[in-house]
Amino acid sequence: MKIRKLLAGLALTVLATSSLAASDLAGQPAPDFALKSSTGENLRLSEYRGDVVMINFWATWCGPCRQEMPLLDQLYSRYQRVGFSLLGVNIDDDSGRAMDMIRELGVSFPVLFDSRKVVSKLYDVDAMPVTVLVDREGNVRHIHKGYKPGYEEMYLDQIRSLLRE
Amino acid sequence: MTFRTILSFLLVLMLVFGAVSIAQEAAPMDAEAAAADANMLATVAGESRDQFRSLDGEVQDLKKEVLDLNRDLFLLEEELLFPANSQVAFFISMDVGEYFALDSVSLKIDGKEVANYLYTDREIDALLQGGVHRVHMANLKTGDHELIAIFTGKGPHTREYRRGATVTINKGIGAKYLELEITDRVKKQQPEFVIKEWE
Repeated sequence: MKIRKLLAGLALTVLATSSLAASDLAGQPAPDFALKSSTGENLRLSEYRGDVVMINFWATWCGPCRQEMPLLDQLYSRYQRVGFSLLGVNIDDDSGRAMDMIRELGVSFPVLFDSRKVVSKLYDVDAMPVTVLVDREGNVRHIHKGYKPGYEEMYLDQIRSLLRE
Repeated sequence: MTFRTILSFLLVLMLVFGAVSIAQEAAPMDAEAAAADANMLATVAGESRDQFRSLDGEVQDLKKEVLDLNRDLFLLEEELLFPANSQVAFFISMDVGEYFALDSVSLKIDGKEVANYLYTDREIDALLQGGVHRVHMANLKTGDHELIAIFTGKGPHTREYRRGATVTINKGIGAKYLELEITDRVKKQQPEFVIKEWE
């Protein structure tokens, strides 16, 4: 009985700590990074300062990511010309599979490869997909873990709100 | 005309002249009072302007102090984290860039990777225009240390190019600054990596 209570307490602490870690980033400056993109050039987050940036962590084995990415591409196409940027960060070990999926889905936003998982560790990515919204000042404003149909409406509202700032 | 009539006339004349003189005296007095009021207002306005100027000056001084403090704190923090006697800093610079398009630099000290930096197009432009990038700062004990710098990019004929440069750093007392320069060697049509120590 005591052991069960102890285990339950430990589990709760771990959950609380992990959620705290994710929420710690909100309001903080987004950790800077540079990764190679699908077009071959290196892209650095801080060079997008001044734009509202959405960072979407995804993987080829993630089903909700496949659902979400075309919808994100629509957002990107619509708002890119008014200061919105979208960076897809793929965390697969093999970037070749990611390239195949990008071609299959026909997304137009830049996709970066984080095969060493350095950036995903920086952003404490413990679910798939994870979507981070960064404001024009470079601060993390929203973090969404996972995807369910309808989330794109929430993204739309948040992007529009940040663009208006 | 009787004496009484003349006297009455004289009295009336005196009264009239008296009233005129009193009026004349009153006019300057009003003007003086108005002038005095105007002077007082001007003085008050002037004092307010002076006060504003001095307040503005004080605010500017405070701002400057805050900026100076911020700078001093930053320098102190660097000194604390990287004390001068064990500090080693590594800089990247580029010259020309005709035979080598830089992509990334990786640094290893004593076999351990300490830095891996990807360069964007903008950063490469800055390097080509004479910029110098501090790629890594470390604390090293005195003695010999092995530095391996690996440059990755596109070489002649846009082929993938990977080149390393090794140097032994003899760390003495005092800070050490090393520049890793990428230059184009026209004779061999190859990039050359030169490690220079700043005095």
